[in-house]
Amino acid sequence: MTQQPYGIMAEFKTPETLMEAVRAAKRAGFTKLDAFSPFPLSDLAKELGVRTSVIPWIAFAAGLIGAVIQYGSQYWMNAVNYPLNVGGRPLHSWPAFIPASLIVAILWAGAATLIGLLLILRLPRLHHPVFAFPGFERASEDRFFLCIMRDDPMFENEAVHEFFAALSPLAIREVPACG
Amino acid sequence: MSSDAHAATSRVADVPLSPHFGWAWWLAILASGGLVALLGYTLLSVTIVGVGVWGVNIPYVWGFDLINYAWWIGIANGASLFAATLVLRRHDLRTAVNRFAEGVALFAVICAGIFPIIHLGRPWLFYWTFPYPATFQVWPQFRSTLTWDFWAISTHVIVTSLLWYVGLIPDLATLRDRAKRPMVQRIYGVFALGWRGSVRHWAYHQRAYRLVAILVLPLILIMQSTVAFEFAVTLVPDWHETRQPLHFVATGLAQGLSIVLLVAVLLRWGLRLGRYIDEGDIDLLGKLVLASALVSGYLYIDEIAAALLSGGLTQEATFTRMTGDYAGLYWTAIVYSVLIPQLFWFRSARLSTVGGVFVGVSIGVGIWFDRFSIIVGGLQTDYLPSIGRSYSPTLSETGLFLGTVGLFTALLLLFVRFLPVISMFETRHDEHEEKSS
Repeated sequence: MTQQPYGIMAEFKTPETLMEAVRAAKRAGFTKLDAFSPFPLSDLAKELGVRTSVIPWIAFAAGLIGAVIQYGSQYWMNAVNYPLNVGGRPLHSWPAFIPASLIVAILWAGAATLIGLLLILRLPRLHHPVFAFPGFERASEDRFFLCIMRDDPMFENEAVHEFFAALSPLAIREVPACG
Repeated sequence: MSSDAHAATSRVADVPLSPHFGWAWWLAILASGGLVALLGYTLLSVTIVGVGVWGVNIPYVWGFDLINYAWWIGIANGASLFAATLVLRRHDLRTAVNRFAEGVALFAVICAGIFPIIHLGRPWLFYWTFPYPATFQVWPQFRSTLTWDFWAISTHVIVTSLLWYVGLIPDLATLRDRAKRPMVQRIYGVFALGWRGSVRHWAYHQRAYRLVAILVLPLILIMQSTVAFEFAVTLVPDWHETRQPLHFVATGLAQGLSIVLLVAVLLRWGLRLGRYIDEGDIDLLGKLVLASALVSGYLYIDEIAAALLSGGLTQEATFTRMTGDYAGLYWTAIVYSVLIPQLFWFRSARLSTVGGVFVGVSIGVGIWFDRFSIIVGGLQTDYLPSIGRSYSPTLSETGLFLGTVGLFTALLLLFVRFLPVISMFETRHDEHEEKSS
């Protein structure tokens, strides 16, 4: 075969068997793994070494930037650039600048987190090689998949096939690379 | 052959994917479509003719526009607050109601957003509230609560819709994968953004979703308080009270919960989703509605106590509101938002569809009268001798109100028709946890 595959994928019936498969794959020394499931599996994510701690930092940084910009612009507009005396009230009425600053901090934090999420996950994307796996549409319903990717240093067609076969999954197949 | 998990959520997925939806849905969408047309007509008339078509005049400059604004905001905030609390507490009830509670919040805030824009008189200049470098070099006045409102509404719309959509992505992927017709597959596929259920993606998705849901909590409290501040910072004796934010937040929560209950009961009955929104969920929602109605009752007592503790014109203003020309509004609010919900002390009332609809609508109506009483009744006593005018809404204002009700219903109907009303992946997750425990 001239074209290298994207990886080799196996289909499992339950999250428990998928978990076992991931553990076995790690024991066997595979490192480039991706698992697919119809609902969040936090233990499995831990097993795969997924670290999501960047998310709160995005929210915090964006919120801080938003608040500073909002407070600063209110101060600059109402106290510096266009000072307007309203019944002798102080131009820099900081308590009045707080609510909008907090609200805009939440706006920045919320929007940055959710848009940042899509950027981290590299979504949207129109196609992905795993969709070519027959029956993969059930990954959004009741089936669980484990893919060992080609760029794994241990990747070798025969070896991966054998490894999966030992776990007796529902199906094992090569995932062709696209384009 | 399909496994348990397959069967678990297929009923929810089948709803948006079914090619036919029955005559009742068509009738409902037709009726609400008619009201949306009415909304268009009234919006157009007020834009072309001006706010003169409304019954507002000095001193009643805020009529139906602000009453309905405050009412819709209450629904939006109450529903959001409820949804966010469920996510925060990781409560089981969230699986059943979170998705449409967020939907209710989003649609209500869309309806609410119409009023402040249209009541400007020259709605096409609404963008003046945004601090952009205008050629006449005047900036918005940020010491005014009205500018805070601009940020609050736009933030609520943006954050709620983003949160709602991001929460929907995995379920849209399920619909994409289950759809039979290529056109339907393609449409859901585009909106699912290529979600493939990678465990890594799930971990990020859940973390981000939960974090933003928590961010919504303070947003709602600040936003509802901002609405209340719009009244509290004026010198009108009945409004100039520090208890105002608390009153708006608490009664708003009761109102949001009651609308969530109403929608839950109707969905359960109309789409036969008894398995996902089970008796326990409805019972718990009923108890929450009852508790929030009791809190509303407490706040009405607090209002009387505050009046008794104050004195002079403030006291007079509150008592005029309760006994004067507009007393009917005040007492209707008490009956509908506090007394009728007491039916929910009975378990059978909490569990019955009719009971849920009755109490849900009743609190909605009650709080609407409460806002009417505050905005109109509260203006009867002022430091200046009143001009002795009264306020009554014109047909155009009524049309505007009915129009937004139609818009809300239409959006809800479209949501029910085309999107999964219950989070399917959360349901799968719950059933898996139950099985493994």
